[in-house]
Amino acid sequence: MSSFRSKPHVAPYVGPAWYVAATWLIVALVAQATIVHELAIRNVVPSLVLVVVVWYAIRVDTRRAAVYGLAAGFGEDALSAQTGASWTIATCLSALLASRLSRGFFADSIPLAASVTVVATLLRALVFWTIMALSGYPSGLGTMHFHEALAQAVLNTLVIVAAMIVARRFEPPTES
Amino acid sequence: MALLQIGAQRTGSVSPVATAASSLIGIGEATVSAVIGGTRAAGLALLALPGLERDNAALRAQNRQLVEENARLHELAAAYAAETAVRPVVDLYRGVEARVIGFPPENESRTVTIDKGSREGVRRDDGVLAASGVVGRIATVGPFSSTVLLATDYTSRIPAILQRGRWWGIARGNLTSIVMEYVPQDAPIRVGDVVVTGNGRSFHSGAPIGIVTAIERGDAALYQTAVVKTLVDLNALDRVVVVPQ
Repeated sequence: MSSFRSKPHVAPYVGPAWYVAATWLIVALVAQATIVHELAIRNVVPSLVLVVVVWYAIRVDTRRAAVYGLAAGFGEDALSAQTGASWTIATCLSALLASRLSRGFFADSIPLAASVTVVATLLRALVFWTIMALSGYPSGLGTMHFHEALAQAVLNTLVIVAAMIVARRFEPPTES
Repeated sequence: MALLQIGAQRTGSVSPVATAASSLIGIGEATVSAVIGGTRAAGLALLALPGLERDNAALRAQNRQLVEENARLHELAAAYAAETAVRPVVDLYRGVEARVIGFPPENESRTVTIDKGSREGVRRDDGVLAASGVVGRIATVGPFSSTVLLATDYTSRIPAILQRGRWWGIARGNLTSIVMEYVPQDAPIRVGDVVVTGNGRSFHSGAPIGIVTAIERGDAALYQTAVVKTLVDLNALDRVVVVPQ
């Protein structure tokens, strides 16, 4: 009885299997570096990587979300020329925030996913450009980056909402 | 009626009754003929239907094959044109031909990834050219691929010369175009002037960068600035040449 009481409560893991999440992340990274470039609107592209990170983060605890965000950001830094670890840090923090914000909500709630995506996109852009400026990238383009972040937030939200609507059509009906 | 016929025969004309009768019969004949003709045609069409379906399917398959072949030939022609376009640059600079295989994930910088790396002799800061001019310089090198910092990136700086007059300046990336800075105030720059590379770390002199599209002169400034449109469409890169230093 005493050992039972001393054990901390651990919530059951409800997120997708690791290989499913990893596959989605790899697909998103490859698409991001090859195809998504073609969809640029005024040099702004939707971030499939962040969408996948948010999708995963709102389903799991903060530790798993942070690790996933770290891996996603590392992948983006590896594909970029001069970003150092900016995407790694920014995406990791965004995943953490997304996971924290989604507590107490259903993960398949579209309004939740849309709101978290907007916040995560803006936070990620803020952290990314702050780190870039600190590491010597020419600053003074704050207004432009802000406009791009806003546009990307809209695009990301459209992508995640569309993806969730499509996913619902293929999900088996739940028993009530 | 018989008398009318006889009378008409005698005068050598056709009686109205015969005319009416022949007209009516003619209409009937035409109707019957049309029905028979239509029926025959329908019958023949029905008989030929399986053959027509076969022919249609064969023609559709042939059409599909021709469309595919046409697309493949177009692609081959485009690839050949792109390859032959950069061939003179490869020969001139003894450069390494490469293909663009990737882009920055979030478009946060103006870079592209090419399919040649240190194993093919690519080194950091090597210049990169396309058929019509400067693309950028090598920023990072991996064994099998490299990243090219495009001339329009905000951190790109290339020594540049205005071809008419040989005035020096620095071509700095401005995300969408290039700005040539530090041009002396007394240099009479004109819109349409050609800007080429100066001898520097990444380029030999004379590689075309772009065309001056606007000039910014301040009365109190020490230098003037020229806005330069790149000759190479940096948003549609396919084949490039890495030029050794």
